[in-house]
Amino acid sequence: MKKDNILLKVITGLVYFILWVPVLVVVIFSFNESKLGVVWKKFTFKWYRTLLDNSQLHDALFRSLAVSVVVVIFSCIIGTLGAYGFYKLQFRFKRMLRIAILVPIVLPGVVMGGSLLVYFERIVHVPLGYFSIVIAQLSWTAPLAVFIILGRMQRIDWAWEEAAQDLGASKIRTFFRITLPLLLPAIGASALVIFPWSFDDFMITYFVAGVGNATLPIYIFSQLRFGATPTINCIGTILMMISITLLLLSMALENKNKRF
Amino acid sequence: MNRTLDHSMDEVISEDTPIHKKRFFDLEFSILIGPLTLLVVLFTFLPLLITLFFSFLKLGDDGLMTNSFSLQSYINAFSGAYGEIFLRSFYYAVQTNILCIIIAFPVAYYITQYGGRWKAFLILMLIIPETTAVIIRIYAVKTMLGNMGVINNILMGTGLIDSPIRMLYSPFAVMFGLVYYSLPYMILPIYASLEGLNPALLEAATDMGATPIRRFFRVILPLTKGGVFAGTILVFIPALGDYLVPTFLGGSKVMMVGNLVTHKYITAGDIPGGSAFGVVLTAILILVLFIIIKKGGEDALEKVI
Repeated sequence: MKKDNILLKVITGLVYFILWVPVLVVVIFSFNESKLGVVWKKFTFKWYRTLLDNSQLHDALFRSLAVSVVVVIFSCIIGTLGAYGFYKLQFRFKRMLRIAILVPIVLPGVVMGGSLLVYFERIVHVPLGYFSIVIAQLSWTAPLAVFIILGRMQRIDWAWEEAAQDLGASKIRTFFRITLPLLLPAIGASALVIFPWSFDDFMITYFVAGVGNATLPIYIFSQLRFGATPTINCIGTILMMISITLLLLSMALENKNKRF
Repeated sequence: MNRTLDHSMDEVISEDTPIHKKRFFDLEFSILIGPLTLLVVLFTFLPLLITLFFSFLKLGDDGLMTNSFSLQSYINAFSGAYGEIFLRSFYYAVQTNILCIIIAFPVAYYITQYGGRWKAFLILMLIIPETTAVIIRIYAVKTMLGNMGVINNILMGTGLIDSPIRMLYSPFAVMFGLVYYSLPYMILPIYASLEGLNPALLEAATDMGATPIRRFFRVILPLTKGGVFAGTILVFIPALGDYLVPTFLGGSKVMMVGNLVTHKYITAGDIPGGSAFGVVLTAILILVLFIIIKKGGEDALEKVI
């Protein structure tokens, strides 16, 4: 057993502390009686109750869910096919494509959003709204799914696939009976990673949402522009809880995957 | 007969690069790679090409685009107040990246070496805040740095200062926000490459009498440059074009390129102006990717996720 390095421990502790203080502030002040988020007054659930009859919030929430569910499904389909192709096939522009799909992931949201906005409005005439939001998010979540699934593919035992084909199963049959079940944990993990990303996407969605189609992050942004309300802290707390649950789930899936 | 031949070929080619039989090439290829290629071409590269085209158009006196060629948007982007904001953003992004590398190394090293059975938990604690309610977190940083915020309260409570320090809407606040937001994206890839490091190499360096500093620069850094490069891809470019941090923490005093692009596209409706910034940012991204791939090879990309 190695002895602890005190200096490293202090630095690490400090970094985690700073990363989590704002989160804790949000959680603590969501239970604060005072409307101003700076001084603690009294424990209360009343701000959570205001969430229940806020129709603007509900609209935004349902729109976000409707977007993210569809985005996750399509990202997983395109991502699985793409990752499988990257893993199994050799083709001429493979390296180029691999670098190319990095571009939508790392390009700043303002650039992706701006270029998609102009493209939708001036070139392909897609009306801004639900459909444009889904397409815009897919443009970067599907490449992200490719990388996530590709990373987990290295750990899969592919001998099963060969065995199936040696026993005379067709390619398509092998894919659905062997490959897909083998990939399922990877696909599940990528869905659990993509969902919060898509749900939390602000920048690209902000550009292509158009008027009156606020998703949850856009609603939060518009509220925060006029100053914080305790309601926003409640939303943040709930989102944090959901996110923690999803990540714990994805970790459990991964452990299951490793046991193979 | 055919099958046995293919198998023997597979073995020759080596196990970790499976090469498929070319028989079904077209159909299989288009089903697997087709949708992804179509997606990036139609909804990333074509829009970027359109952006390139629009950036050279001239804005008429009535504020509408005309069909004549002009370099005005680029001249505007690099001169006067806009040029200053551009330079500042670039400077902040470089600084953020360097600070993130400096902070990320000890943290990632600590997790790999001393994390033990808490490793997965510590990694999870880095990922959770990044994917949840980013806007609310940045706003929380704003309240933290404010005159009545946590930091000023602690400092005044301990008697270190008498009146609150004004931190908001300063370059410090923006830098703090950028580093705060970007740090996990640097820690994770560096952690991934440190995990892949052979511990025997570190022991060997120590046994041969290398000081910790020498060991870091001669052994650890060269072997983990893939992680640093991957982190740079994830930190530098997004920081350069960030919008939320300068909006909330910089206000109108410390603007960055992200504010300008958003203003041009959404508020002013100046498509050529917004496009010119978009083109320059994309060019910088491609340049950075190119340099990193030249210097670090493919493994930098492998470690991105």
